[in-house]
Amino acid sequence: MAGAWQPDFEQLVDEHQSMVFSLALRMTGDYGLAEEIAQDVFLELDHHLRKIETPLHALLWLRRVAMSRSADALRRRRVRGIDRWVEMGVEIAETHGSRGEERSSPLADRVERLLATVPEPQRAALVLRYQEDLTPEEIAVALGAPLATVKSHLQRGLKLLRTKAAIHLKEYVRGA
Amino acid sequence: MDDLEPMDDFERELQAALARRPAPQHLKRKIMERRWQHAGRSHRMIWLERLAASLILAAVAGGAAFWRHQEEQRRGEEARQQVFTALRIANHALEQMNAQLAEHNRDAQ
Repeated sequence: MAGAWQPDFEQLVDEHQSMVFSLALRMTGDYGLAEEIAQDVFLELDHHLRKIETPLHALLWLRRVAMSRSADALRRRRVRGIDRWVEMGVEIAETHGSRGEERSSPLADRVERLLATVPEPQRAALVLRYQEDLTPEEIAVALGAPLATVKSHLQRGLKLLRTKAAIHLKEYVRGA
Repeated sequence: MDDLEPMDDFERELQAALARRPAPQHLKRKIMERRWQHAGRSHRMIWLERLAASLILAAVAGGAAFWRHQEEQRRGEEARQQVFTALRIANHALEQMNAQLAEHNRDAQ
C-alpha cells in the first residue's frame, strides 16, 4: 500500500513505554522485573517491526505481548518456587517501600499491592479494565480468552478486591 | 457484567489508582542500547552466515569439480582399455592371417 504508515521504533518506545511498563509492573509486582519485561517486549517489537501496519496495531501488539511476557515471567517464578504473592502478605507488603520507583500516591501504592494479591487471571482482567480502560470484549482479545471467562474474572476479581479494600483501605476507599 | 454499566465509586477510585505509571527514566536508553547491541550481533551473525554459506558453496563446487575430474579420468581409462582390447583383437587377427599365409606359402613350395 503506497504511503502506508512507517513505524518509528523510537517514537513507539516514547509513546508506549509507560503502558508496557505499567502493565508489567502491575502483573508482576516487581519493579526490576517489570523493567526487564518492558525492555524485552520492545526488543521483540523491533524484530516484528516490519509486520506492524498501523499505530493501533502497534498498541494492540504491545499490550498483548506485555501481558503474555508478564504471565511467562510469573510462571517462571512459580516454577522456581518464588511466588511473592503467597510469601508476602498484604500487611508485610505495606510496610515495605518500593525501590526507587516514582510513586503516584499512597492510595495508588496500596491499591497496587492489594491488586498483587488477587489471582493472576483476575488481576490481568482488572489491570486491563482499570488501567487501560478496556471493555471486556477488548480484554478478551488482548488475553486471547473467551468473553465469558473475562467477565467472570472481572466480577470475581472486583469482588475480591472490594473485600480486601474494605479491610485494608477503609480510610481511603468510600465505595468498597 | 454489563460493558456500559457506569462505574461505582470504588471502580472510579480503582481506575484513578491504576493510572499508568511513568516508565523509569532510563528505560528508553536501556532499550536503545540493547537494540544497538542486538543489531551489532545480528550484523556479525549475518556475516558469519554469509561466510558459512560461502564455505558450503565452495565445498559443494569443489566436490562437483573433483567428481567430474574423476568421472573424466574413469571414462578416459575405459576408452583406453577399449582401444587396447581392439588392438589386441586386431593383433590376434593379424597373427592368424600371418599364420595362414605362412602355411599357404609352405604348401605352395
